[in-house]
Amino acid sequence: MEVKLNADVLTDNNAAAAHNRGEFSKNNILVVNLMSSPGAGKTTILEETVRKLSIKYRIGVIEGDLATERDADRIRALGAKAIQINTHGGCHLDARMVAKILPEFDLNEIDIMFIENVGNLVCPSGYDLGQHHKVAVLSVPEGNDKIPKYPTMFRRTELVLLNKVDLLPYLDFNVEEAISDLNGLNPESKLLTISARTGEGFNSWIQWIEGAFEQCKQPNQ
Amino acid sequence: MHEMALMGDILNLVFDDAKQKKITKVKSITLTVGQLSNALPDALEMAFDINKAQGHDMLSDSSKLNIIVEEAKATCIFCEELYKPTHRIAICPKCNMPGGKLTSGETFKVETYEGE
Repeated sequence: MEVKLNADVLTDNNAAAAHNRGEFSKNNILVVNLMSSPGAGKTTILEETVRKLSIKYRIGVIEGDLATERDADRIRALGAKAIQINTHGGCHLDARMVAKILPEFDLNEIDIMFIENVGNLVCPSGYDLGQHHKVAVLSVPEGNDKIPKYPTMFRRTELVLLNKVDLLPYLDFNVEEAISDLNGLNPESKLLTISARTGEGFNSWIQWIEGAFEQCKQPNQ
Repeated sequence: MHEMALMGDILNLVFDDAKQKKITKVKSITLTVGQLSNALPDALEMAFDINKAQGHDMLSDSSKLNIIVEEAKATCIFCEELYKPTHRIAICPKCNMPGGKLTSGETFKVETYEGE
């Protein structure tokens, strides 16, 4: 007997993402899903971001890694609440993993939540976690060819943070080509140049987050 | 290698539905996999074979995975050209403007399964 199922493969994930989104909006939390390859600087960016935002906002961080609590410990050292998810070999976070650890947060006590995905430019782009915004980090040593080489990631994110720009004078990263390739994939996507080491460009990034926070508080969003 | 995780989701969808219908064996599963869905047909086949080799009681050695590949297509919002996108998906090859919107290629669905 043939059965017509006509079901999205990610049905289960998408239901969990909708649940997460409901929890976040009930508590007026802005949620940003941060994705990149390993070593692009997600955690270092988050450390500086948490330092700057903590003055005005209550921050929560969900850390995704295959193993260790190292990243969560780095965030906790700054006084923010952080929960580590260990995927034990899994190459991405999915919405069910996030749903499972959400009760560990007092969501009433959080304004902005960052989800640091597992370092990987492929799989994380396919999973809705219930976030408001997907942000990709690309770093100068990786080279600007990563944008056309990983189109699903850079087409599905609305902001790219180009990190480690303090290394631009020493390496062959072509920023103009990166912007042109990004426009070719997703004309609505923006690129901000930053350095988590020197603090360069952080004002624009913090402004972007604050703008997104104001927007997500509006009831029609 | 997220195809293993995806195959887990595919089999859960099928087996849950089959159990409700009192189906005990799944003979074949048919998927539509878009070229831009981020899932690789070969790796899905491999993941399916691994699940079979692990001996799930709803699958047998002869259970088959059929994959319909959905081509990526885009339409330009400026000149309405219909085209097959290259890696610069949004750039229209006719008017060179970044106005391309995907019309297909991202589908990733379980279409049907055959059970007994």
